[in-house]
Amino acid sequence: MLTAKAKEAFNAFNAGFKEKGKLLYQGKYSSHAVRFRAMPAQREGKEKVAIYLDNAATTYPKPEAVYKAIDHYLRHIGASAGRGAYRRALEADGLVFKTRKLLGRLFNIADVSNIIFTSNVTESLNLALKGFLREGDHVVTSHLEHNSMWRPLKVLEKERNIRITVLPSPEGKALDPEQLERTILPGTRLVALTHASNVTGTLMPLKEVGEICRRYHVPLLVDTAQTAGVFPLDIKELKIDLLAFTGHKGLLGPTGTGGLYIAPGLEIKPWKEGGTGGASLLEHQPEDLPDRFEAGTLNVAGIVGLGAAVEFILEKGVGQIREHEKALTAYALEQLCQVPGLTLYGPLNAEERVGVFSINLEDIAPEELAYVLDEAYGIMVRAGLHCAPQAHRCIGTVQRGTVRISPGYFNTKEEIEALSVALKEIISH
Amino acid sequence: MFLRKVEITYVSPCLADPQKIRLKAELSDDITEVMPYLNATVKAAIYNHEAPNLTLSKEFRLITLYPRELTMIKALNTTDAWQVIDWLQELINDTYARRSEIAPDYRRKRRPHPLQLYSWLPRLNCKKCGEQHCLAFAALLFSGQQELKNCEPLFSHNYREQREVLLELAKALR
Repeated sequence: MLTAKAKEAFNAFNAGFKEKGKLLYQGKYSSHAVRFRAMPAQREGKEKVAIYLDNAATTYPKPEAVYKAIDHYLRHIGASAGRGAYRRALEADGLVFKTRKLLGRLFNIADVSNIIFTSNVTESLNLALKGFLREGDHVVTSHLEHNSMWRPLKVLEKERNIRITVLPSPEGKALDPEQLERTILPGTRLVALTHASNVTGTLMPLKEVGEICRRYHVPLLVDTAQTAGVFPLDIKELKIDLLAFTGHKGLLGPTGTGGLYIAPGLEIKPWKEGGTGGASLLEHQPEDLPDRFEAGTLNVAGIVGLGAAVEFILEKGVGQIREHEKALTAYALEQLCQVPGLTLYGPLNAEERVGVFSINLEDIAPEELAYVLDEAYGIMVRAGLHCAPQAHRCIGTVQRGTVRISPGYFNTKEEIEALSVALKEIISH
Repeated sequence: MFLRKVEITYVSPCLADPQKIRLKAELSDDITEVMPYLNATVKAAIYNHEAPNLTLSKEFRLITLYPRELTMIKALNTTDAWQVIDWLQELINDTYARRSEIAPDYRRKRRPHPLQLYSWLPRLNCKKCGEQHCLAFAALLFSGQQELKNCEPLFSHNYREQREVLLELAKALR
């Protein structure tokens, strides 16, 4: 028997599902809707614990120090950074600098003035692409890009006639560095790549890419949304000229934080002008970084939280965090491969990927599967196209989408096992 | 750690160059003890043991250290200032840690380099001093063939900070 609450949830879901089903799936999934109606009843009386496995979207929970730092700033400091000659405003300014410095340590950036704070990686990528690319430029990118890279490129293709070469990733495989080398032309102005796919978890061969870019004097822009904080990133070693990061994923900070590292000598046009707290007499944006790109009041609370998060990461060690991720990834791969009827996309080796898994279970709609996992088992995963349709074309799921499972630093093997058990129960039902 | 914390307490635009900033910062610990060691190791530092204070530069920025305070002028922005403060704190702590290996220097003055003099001039190339440009003026100042008072813009209100620095540097030329 269904509980009243479960009945209500299913009725609400089915009402929306039918409408959505017609639009996306031509009603194909109505039979599955009937099938999983009984799922919660099967789980009746069983403990439902919350297992968060959507860390590729936003990590949760955050380190305790993050909550404390934000609370302390909002409660006891509260002033804008760089916007006052009184001690508290200067203290806020010092806290923003502290975060910049910690990020400098994390990415091996000596002059932290070259780290620009933004709201997220999307803003960072837009700033880099729209601020750097000019009329008719040639750009090399990949099929595994998120829309945060892909959409600005397509806008620039239309508005500035840029030429885009897209490197293939059949079945979600990493790009071929030799193929990249062949696509670099005399007019190539930028190589713009994700470090790891947010759909398949595929890691790109960044070191080889960096070597090639340096050899041909082509700047390299890297989207580190899925790797910053969980994968050692050294801009010098990897020869990265533009590093876009977000604060709320692997960096374990709050939403609304992110940034862009700009290598000295790269001319990027600011996309916004406004107050910087100093040099107010100037009618134009100051030339010096970071003020050149940081018009407007900064998200100080978020940046302070991000600072506490990066401090946590540096204390644990990114190498250690990556090892933890690899162990969890290897375990997840092993567990998922044992689920009957499960299709797993992307590399099957933990070395070649990050902790992001796209799956499908027989012909169950991803949204349906995610719903059952949440409602009946308390397991939170994401369903759909994950804002990366190009990647879905590579793995043949652009019409259907996938369920994305993304454990984070605070997840355990037991939680992965619980997911595996849930998937087996669902498919056997 | 010898010097535990440096806290900026005051920021305002530079008088001569409003695009840059000047600032004051409080030091958590008295650094008097380390000054003679800094004087011995920092190139082109100006040390006054009696005061005590020590002036040094980091590229185009000028910093004066006092026992519990520092001032900095011509920083690009607060991020730049914090970076320089970080560098200074490291320098002070490193010098203090190595003090047994350094012979302290209590001498009052160090002869400044002509380019150091040039960096603090208004650099307007106004020729009012009779020279073709400020670099020539700095070279002649260094060799004793020119006098600071002949730089007319330097003695206007806008260049008060640079003037104070140059007057201090000029003492070492005599």
